[in-house]
This record gives sequence, structure tokens and C-alpha cells, in this order.
Amino acid sequence: MLARSCLRSTRAFAGARNGAINVSKRAASSSSGPNPEASPLRLNLAAAASTAVAAGSIAWYYHLYGPTAHAMTPAEEGLHPTQYPWVHEQFLKTFDHQALRRGFQVYREVCAACHSLSRVPYRTLVGTIMTVDEAKALAEENEYDTEPNDQGEIEKRPGKLSDYMPAPYKNDEAARAANNGALPPDLSLITKARHGGVNYIFSLLTGYPEEPPAGAQVGAGLNFNPYFPGTGIAMARVLYDDLVEYEDETPATTSQMAKDVTEFLNWAAEPEMDDRKRTGLKVLVVTSVLFAITVYVKRYKWAWLKSRKIAYDPPKAENTQHRL
Amino acid sequence: MGIWDTITDLVDAATPWSTVEAEAPSSNPAGAGPASESASEVATETVDDSKSTEESSDESESKEEDTEDEPEEEEEEEEEEELKDPKETLEEECRNSKQCAPAKHHFEECVERVENGSKEDCVEEFFHLTHCATQCAAPKLWSILK
Repeated sequence: MLARSCLRSTRAFAGARNGAINVSKRAASSSSGPNPEASPLRLNLAAAASTAVAAGSIAWYYHLYGPTAHAMTPAEEGLHPTQYPWVHEQFLKTFDHQALRRGFQVYREVCAACHSLSRVPYRTLVGTIMTVDEAKALAEENEYDTEPNDQGEIEKRPGKLSDYMPAPYKNDEAARAANNGALPPDLSLITKARHGGVNYIFSLLTGYPEEPPAGAQVGAGLNFNPYFPGTGIAMARVLYDDLVEYEDETPATTSQMAKDVTEFLNWAAEPEMDDRKRTGLKVLVVTSVLFAITVYVKRYKWAWLKSRKIAYDPPKAENTQHRL
Repeated sequence: MGIWDTITDLVDAATPWSTVEAEAPSSNPAGAGPASESASEVATETVDDSKSTEESSDESESKEEDTEDEPEEEEEEEEEEELKDPKETLEEECRNSKQCAPAKHHFEECVERVENGSKEDCVEEFFHLTHCATQCAAPKLWSILK
């Protein structure tokens, strides 16, 4: 509307002020129209119609695609987890490896009953969570298939460091059948696989309220958890105070266990984090050294040019007199 | 990664301080199995082997003293009181604090409406209250947890 009225007003204004020039211009450009008296009305009509079409098409497009459809209620979206001040998320901080050790204990004693950790081999535990001998002993607790022997039969052997953590169920179908149709996800990459990452995992583990809020619908076999999208989660609350006994005598409160196991799962998802941050610092150090060298070399190379002095000796007075 | 390893080696060689190596956990409480006990013993033995023979005899004596101390520590462990989750207490404090008073007020009003026959749910009000409480408790909780 604004554009249209502006167009029209400028046109009318120009026509009123210097009509003669306008007419001559139009005659030159439009190859001598037969009736110049009717043209202003027709032009105005054309402008109005095209503007209406333009505005209408924009309105139609906005009507079709403009507003985003928000089909989700807050309950379906799930409560967004609070940002906790994790130390290992800071710029140059590593994982707390004592916490990783505790978290692995929680995983083994609690989570491993239903959740696999199938992308983590025992060898990655060595040096980060336990010693070589501890990891070997842990691996030997489980049996794995051997290569086929002379008769072509596959026997069992104790696990080695190169083996991966055993899954609690044979396959997804068995897992679903054992868990009322719900599939416990593999935890190897879970902190990367969920919005909110570690905060989500921690909040989910500790966020079970004692009873669902008034009026909330909780499906059969489900539990109310505000952080889970849809709020109905098949996993019941598993972490209770004093569930595990830590070997370093840390009081095993629910939140302590949740924090440890979450940090452990973050390690499982990105075991390279410590090295990555170290490499990043190395890059910064080397880059700053190279930059300093560059600055030094530049100043060194340019020194003769920057320190030179251009002297202008004015011509002697008697030479200038020739001009006159 | 080759060049970084080289740089690391050079830096390690040049720096006067040594790299910190993780030690095997010294004590084995009741929770650990016999296998891990033997493993840690092997680890301590190998550490001793690397030292000179005179020192290793001294070390083994001190090691015996350490093993004598361990049962006393385990006895102390059993005298612990029942634990209370700091998260719950902190969030309860936060829920009742001035900061979360509006959210709590709305939640309680909603609960009252539902009890009087309204057919809504209080999930959204609960979300706001929980969000406020966890937000307020988060830094305090992390200062308590290890």
C-alpha cells in the first residue's frame, strides 16, 4: 500500500509540475500512442493491479508457508535440562579420571543390566580408567567366540583387551521382549546422541519426581520424567542412594552416581577429548610462536627501509634566479 | 599425529619436570574382587622391581605396614549414617525460595484447580517450577559433589 501510494503521488506530482516535458518524453519512448489523454488512467490502473497482484502473492505465500506449525505442547517437547557447571566441559580441563572410574563402576553395576556399551573395547579403559591388569581381569570375566578350530567348530575363550564390552541382550528384539517393548539404547555415544548431552543424561537420571504432577497422563508401564520428550519413559528410576559402594569411599548419593556415570558416558562418547584439548593448546602455542617469528622477520627485513632517511637538499639560491 | 608426537617428545625431553603417571589404586576395599586384588599386587611388584634392590627391601616393609592399616579403614566405613541426596535438599530449598515463588504459586494454583475438577494437567507449571529449582540448585550442587 505504501509503495503503491508513493508511486502514484510521485507520478501525479511530476505530471502537474512539468507536464510538457513529461509528454514529450513519453512520446519519444512509447512510439507515439494514438490517444495520449487516456494513458494516465490506464497506467494508474496497471500499476494498481500489478501492485495488488504482488502484494496478494506475498500474502498468499505467507498464508501457505509463513507461520511455523507448533504442534508440540511443552510436555511433548520435554523439559529442557539445566546447564550444570561441568568441569570437563571447560576449555582446557580434562575428564576427572577418578570420576570416570566411579562412573564405570556405576555403569557396570547398574546400567549394564539393560544397556549395552558395544562400541567401547576393554583396551580403551587401560590408562584412562583402570590399569592393564585390572582391564585384563575384567575382560576375562566374559566369554567370546574363537576362530573356528580344525573341525570348524567355534569354541568359547575368555575375553581379551581387544574385545568389546558384551551386550546384555543378544539383539534388539530380545532387548525389547525383556523390557516390555521398550528398547534400551546403546550408551556408547549417548551423550552425543541426545539434545542437551551430559546435562540431559544427568537430569534424566536424577529428575524422576516422587509423583507425577496433578492431571498428568502416564501410560501403562511408563514412568513420568519431565526431561524425556513426551514425559512417559519406560525406564524406571534406577539410581537410589547407596546403590553402589565406591572404592574411593565417595558417598554414593543419587546425584553423585548420576554425575559420575554421566561423565563416564561422555568419555565413552568422546574418548579423544583430553588429547583433543591438548592438541588444541599445542596448535595455539605453535601458532603464536610462528606469529612472533613472522613479526620479528618482517621487522628485520624491513628495517633498512623503515630506518632510512630521505634528505632533501634545497637548490642553491643563485640557481633559482634563472627562472626569472 | 606424527609431528605432534615428535613435538611432545621434544618438549618432554626438554622440560625439567617429569610427566605425571597414574598410579594403581593403593587400597582394595571389600567391593573389589580377588582378581583385581591380584592384579594390583602384580602392579606394585613391577614398580618395586624397577627400583634398586636396596630400596625394594625397604619398600616391601613399608608395603606390609600399609596392608596392616587397611582393615581399620574398612571398619570405619561401616559406621556411616544414612545418606541424603544433596540435590533433593537443595532443590527443595530453591523451590521454597523467593526466586521460585511465582512458579510455585502457579503450580499450586493449578493443582488446586485440578483437585476441584478441572480437566487440565499441571505439566507446564511443573516444568517451570522444576526449571527454576534446578537452575538455582545447579551451582550449589556442583560445589558439593565430587
